[in-house]
Amino acid sequence: MGKREEKWLGRLDLFRMPCSPRPNWQKKATEFGFKFHTMHGQPYWDESAYYQFTLKQIEQDLEDPTVEIHQMCLDVVDRVVNSEKLLQQFQIPKQYWQMIADSWQAQEPSLYSRLDFCYHGDGPAKLYENNADTPTSLYESGFWQWLWLQDLVDTNQLARNADQFNSLQEKLIHRLADIARYYKVDMLHFSSCKDTDEDRGTVQYLQDCAAEAGLSNPFVYIEDIGIAKEGCFTDLGDNPITTLFKLYPWEFMQREEFGDYIQSSETNWIEPIWKSILSNKALMPMLWKLHKGHPNLLPAYFEDELALASEAKLVKKPIYSREGANISIIENGKTLVEAHGPYGEEGFIYQAYFPLPRFENNHTLIGSWLVDDQAAGISVREDTSEITQDLSRYLPHVILG
Amino acid sequence: MTRKRSASINLSRLRKQFSVKPLALGVASVFISACSDNRQEASIYKDIEDCVSKNPDFAQQCETAYREALVEAERTGPKYNSQRDCEHEFGDNQCRYVERNSGSFFMPFMAGYMLSNLLSPNRYSYQPMFTSYSPYSSYRYRWIGAGGYDYGDLRKRNYRVRPDAFKPKPTVTKTMKRGGFGSTVRAKSSWGSAKKSGWGG
Repeated sequence: MGKREEKWLGRLDLFRMPCSPRPNWQKKATEFGFKFHTMHGQPYWDESAYYQFTLKQIEQDLEDPTVEIHQMCLDVVDRVVNSEKLLQQFQIPKQYWQMIADSWQAQEPSLYSRLDFCYHGDGPAKLYENNADTPTSLYESGFWQWLWLQDLVDTNQLARNADQFNSLQEKLIHRLADIARYYKVDMLHFSSCKDTDEDRGTVQYLQDCAAEAGLSNPFVYIEDIGIAKEGCFTDLGDNPITTLFKLYPWEFMQREEFGDYIQSSETNWIEPIWKSILSNKALMPMLWKLHKGHPNLLPAYFEDELALASEAKLVKKPIYSREGANISIIENGKTLVEAHGPYGEEGFIYQAYFPLPRFENNHTLIGSWLVDDQAAGISVREDTSEITQDLSRYLPHVILG
Repeated sequence: MTRKRSASINLSRLRKQFSVKPLALGVASVFISACSDNRQEASIYKDIEDCVSKNPDFAQQCETAYREALVEAERTGPKYNSQRDCEHEFGDNQCRYVERNSGSFFMPFMAGYMLSNLLSPNRYSYQPMFTSYSPYSSYRYRWIGAGGYDYGDLRKRNYRVRPDAFKPKPTVTKTMKRGGFGSTVRAKSSWGSAKKSGWGG
């Protein structure tokens, strides 16, 4: 393997290790149906390097905080569902308030989430946001980087004791079985939007996990979902959709025509509707209010309390947004960097500026996965821009030492 | 040292190119084709003995496929709330009681299984078969698939079929309208991010 690129970031560090891509990896990707390793002519999956963590870094700095923050987030849900003021502040349409409260009270089961952290290799990882509703890069994390490690160990390019923080697939299979048991079903419908290989690939992966759990797993595109005269949603074969995994944001669904049937259809939703509180950037100032000074949190403010902010440099994020869109970096009121996009009509929140670690021209972001309430692994993404977007590259990681 | 990654992964489940996917998942049905080019030979056997006697060199496959077909039969076969309804369709003493997490119901015994590609080095395809002995049923003495497809007279054992997607059971619902979800994506796409690859995060 190549020489270490050591980057001193504060005192200790993360290692970014250059390595040779497996000669047959593209062929393998075709074999396994990994279609989006290259997107829009740009590499997305990048195995010309990997990140190396120690077990201590993983367990103390990422795994434990992930579990703890998730619990803090659940506490926020509990407060928000019981407060009209907060429901308003979170921009949840009024017609769903009762349904969200009921879904929360019933403890409808959640499948997965991804917390995005800024982590420099030592010191506490800082939470950027919680992708609690429709996280992607799941296939790359749960399976593809697992296979990469397996191949490199098998060909002696990595030590036998090299490990990876990645029990995603194992946990997803179990959790899908748990959810089916909870709803007393043996079939889960799966859905994503048309014209996106990435989302379709993510959902296919979950279908494969469901199949492994012994569940049948028909697919229907979001746009093809129908409403039946009996009141339930249907797939293209007119079959009723009892339980639906939707890789489609709650905040979109709640504002669309079929939103009126979300409740009356009596669908079992994955993710459950109470998750619309967590996939919402209003979560960040709420967490800060409740746990001010927590080492894994960055100071964050609602728009109307910006006067409280003592930080000179802030990041402005829309309450609802995806993949870095409409995020800007502001210093003393002046916009320094801005990512354009179609979001922002529901307002913004502000978060203290805390830059990502840099390796040459790459800004590195850690995604930390949860399946239900258990930490289940990490993903590493690199972007040439400070604001990581949907075209940032995915790099595998290992645990050594 | 505790292992931080999945202990093992079933690679064949995730392999997409060389497996006939729906069959590997066990959700495929094989349908008789009138005008398709990629038809293949398929035979129906009543049980393992029947299969082995006709394919003495493939006893192991006969047995494995039978067990797989049984599982598939329970998963996709017709299910009824009452014994009476089930026996009305399939005949006296042709139904059994099944209790599952999802509830309890009555379903017909598997009457046989259809196999194709048994001799192929790739994986064979299988499909549970049912039949009816009920004088009230149009399926009486016919081979039928889990989805209700009629494969013909019980005496007929060899077919030319083509692989096809899983055919859902007869519909119980009339869809009034489609397209009520997805409009936000259309709106946000027209904003002009040609690079947008997905709507997850």
